[in-house]
Amino acid sequence: MAVAPAPVVETESKQSQTRKKLALFGTPIFIITVLLATYLWISSLELDSIEMRVLNKEVLTESLMEHLYLTGISTALVILIAIPLGILVTRPSLKRATPFVLGLANAGQAIPSFGLLTIVVIWFGIGVQGVIFGLVAYSTLPILRNTMIGIQQVDKSLIKAARGMGMSTRQVLARVEMPLAVPVMLAGIRTALIINVGTATLATFFGAGGLGFVIFNGIQLNRDPVLVTGVVMVSALALSVDYLAGVIGRLASPRGL
Amino acid sequence: MDFLDYLSRSGDNLFELSLEHINLVLISMGLAILIGVPLGITAHRKTRWNPIILSGAGIMLTIPSLALLAIFVPIFGLGAPPAIAGLTLYALYPIISNTVAGLQSVSPAIVKASRGMGMGSWRRLAKVELPLAWPVIITGVRVSTQVVVGIAAIAAIVGGPGLGNEIFRGLRSLGSPGAENLVYGGTLAVVIVAYLFDAAFILIRRFTTPRGIR
Amino acid sequence: MSTNSTSEVMIELDELTKTFPGQSVPAVDKLSLTIQKGEIVVFVGPSGCGKTTSMELINRLIEPTSGRIILEGEDVTDAQVDSLRRRIGYVIQETGLFPHRTIAQNIATVPGMIGWKKGRMDERVDELLGLIGMEPSQYRDRFPKELSGGQRQRVGVARAMAADPPVMLMDEPFGAIDPITRERLQNEFLRLQAQIQKTVVFVTHDIDEAIKMGDKIVVLKEQSHIAQFASPEEILSSPADDYVSDFIGQGASLKRLNLTRIRDIEMATDTPTGTAHEELSTLRQRLAESPWSTMMILDDQHRPMRWVGGRDLNRANAGEDIAKLGLPATATVEPQATLSDALNELITSNGGVAIVVDGSGVFQGVVDIESILTAVRTMREENSQFYLAQKEISEAID
Ligand SMILES: Nc1ncnc2c1ncn2[C@@H]1O[C@H](COP(=O)(O)OP(=O)(O)OP(=O)(O)O)[C@@H](O)[C@H]1O
Ligand SMILES: [Mg+2]
Repeated sequence: MAVAPAPVVETESKQSQTRKKLALFGTPIFIITVLLATYLWISSLELDSIEMRVLNKEVLTESLMEHLYLTGISTALVILIAIPLGILVTRPSLKRATPFVLGLANAGQAIPSFGLLTIVVIWFGIGVQGVIFGLVAYSTLPILRNTMIGIQQVDKSLIKAARGMGMSTRQVLARVEMPLAVPVMLAGIRTALIINVGTATLATFFGAGGLGFVIFNGIQLNRDPVLVTGVVMVSALALSVDYLAGVIGRLASPRGL
Repeated sequence: MDFLDYLSRSGDNLFELSLEHINLVLISMGLAILIGVPLGITAHRKTRWNPIILSGAGIMLTIPSLALLAIFVPIFGLGAPPAIAGLTLYALYPIISNTVAGLQSVSPAIVKASRGMGMGSWRRLAKVELPLAWPVIITGVRVSTQVVVGIAAIAAIVGGPGLGNEIFRGLRSLGSPGAENLVYGGTLAVVIVAYLFDAAFILIRRFTTPRGIR
Repeated sequence: MSTNSTSEVMIELDELTKTFPGQSVPAVDKLSLTIQKGEIVVFVGPSGCGKTTSMELINRLIEPTSGRIILEGEDVTDAQVDSLRRRIGYVIQETGLFPHRTIAQNIATVPGMIGWKKGRMDERVDELLGLIGMEPSQYRDRFPKELSGGQRQRVGVARAMAADPPVMLMDEPFGAIDPITRERLQNEFLRLQAQIQKTVVFVTHDIDEAIKMGDKIVVLKEQSHIAQFASPEEILSSPADDYVSDFIGQGASLKRLNLTRIRDIEMATDTPTGTAHEELSTLRQRLAESPWSTMMILDDQHRPMRWVGGRDLNRANAGEDIAKLGLPATATVEPQATLSDALNELITSNGGVAIVVDGSGVFQGVVDIESILTAVRTMREENSQFYLAQKEISEAID
């Protein structure tokens, strides 16, 4: 046998590399800079008593904690619900339902988050529980969809090869379909996380607090420092969550893809 | 069936608000196209700017929508302007990224051929590249519009116009009889507006795509 | 070709039929076939004639509508599929390496499932990588995307062989590959088969490949109807009907050059050889003492490097680099290459001969056009005698 040809290793385009580097280092620097600038600006102000009522350590920490709680619980729930559901719907016995579920899920996208959240809260009651149900309802879609697409896009010839080597359908799911669907599924989870951070901003209208409380207070009381603090905090939170999810996603994706 | 009752009583009002909603979306989308397409072209042509433009626009999509609208309240005050500004920023990313993708999908052979015929860079853009990239760009606009129609419902919170006001009104009076009808009515109308826009896009795409690549 | 005389039956297909749901005509219609142990049986036929379907009926990736499959005397038509498939290696048409698993993990898939110990699996992986000519330490931990197309196909073959199944199904394993690499892979597989003696069902739509690879060829027409089931020689010299002769196409006689391999013919092994480190005078003398006008300069691994003539040696100054004299030694073939391969090489060669090397490139001898012609002549005589005799016998029986 003659000398083996040189391996073909794909080189990423320079653009997407710069973009990744920018995201990897630029994002945290950007977040920290904005937070710091806002902090310095607020500390330089003479706050009046109305502003002081919101802009103090206790209220801000509590709002942040509430926000994290809402986001965390709802995302965990939605992962527990949507991934098994997505897998179930792609099983051979239910495969025929896949396009139907996808279509339904896509059609549901037209419902505005504000409206859906309000409706779910009307059904399940004002407060944390109702809001969490609302968040779950709204963010189920991306995870469900990405789980289904992730599994569906697995090359059919790989499944044939696996079956041909004597893997059972369950082994094919665990060893071939799931690992190959992981990147797409992780992307769905990331999207759901971002949606939940964003939608949880509306929780304050349903008595469940969160950083939306700070923003809405700023609007209602006509106090810009309050409003800006709320906006900066919730944006920094969303960007950090997105950043971490991106890094984790990259680490958790199987190599070789 | 007091929902039907509500519909017959508030039909005119809902119609009015829907028009406001549509207007708000049209203005924001118009601005977003005016800003997004040139930015997309720049990102395509000046590859050095590509990462900055795309990451920047991507950030807008990550920031919670209420925050993006609210941040303009200190600048413009309450009302339509902060809503328009926020929605415009929100709409940018899909437009820019699809403009870049569309331009990149134009085959290098075609670009070379038009170069060889002596077309200057702007003429090439207008006569060859943009028309060929158009279906991809219009898809980006469509995706943006879908998102913006939904988020425009939040505009009411910063005093903006549109169907969010109906939802917000229902929300404020939750507990009093019939309040939920306002929420259902407002939400349903947003869904209908979204479908109308989508239908419009199918037509626009069909009639604005050059015949050869339809 | 491995001439295997044991006539133990490995696979028997009995009126196998597959009608896909919603179709009125069967894709495979009453296919009956007996495959002997240790032979390569090639399914050949036009696209869509049912080759893949027929093959996948054997490991029941496609469940037959009716008919029976008998493997080593055991009716496996209703056996547990997963364990059946682990006894049958399958190289699918699209290669199908798992992109998220390393080459080693890919190869060890079936051994892993049937509970081999880690040490044994590692050993087996290295052994197989060696067999397919890929340095284990270099390739073990790579991912499929880091291989070339040809290397991927080889790994696909290694993966199918991993648990040493007695039967291998290979669906166009060298399909989407350039002709040169393809020929190399074919030769390599034949070399391997001579060692491992598997029962192989091989699918191709290329008649030349079928002739080269097959101990027996099954020419299929639509719905997997058998047009002819015979040895390559017989198919070339007496095609059963017009369909078969059309399928063989033009140049059936040239195709017969595919039937004989270099290792089966006489090759010249007395070519004078030398190395670049030797003295000019030594080389001159060696060449002068031989009946040849040129000699072969080999490298340190005994691989052919240059053809050097007497005049090159005489003109060279002392101390001149011998590895730069003469002409590069091109046109190398391996012993399992066919005469057709050799002829191709020879026509474009520098020396008018094809250089025979073994699997690691070590010089074995040379073949010239005379020896090829002699081989063709003998083959023709043998065959005609064989078929004449056969004809007489069948007439006598009638
Ligand atoms: N899953 C399936 N469902 C329905 N029809 C099928 C299916 N698989 C194959 N067929 C049909 O059966 C026939 C035989 O197909 P098969 O794949 O066996 O052909 P082939 O000889 O392997 O062709 P090729 O050389 O192109 O690989 C074709 O007409 C094909 O359309
Ligand atoms: Mg096939």
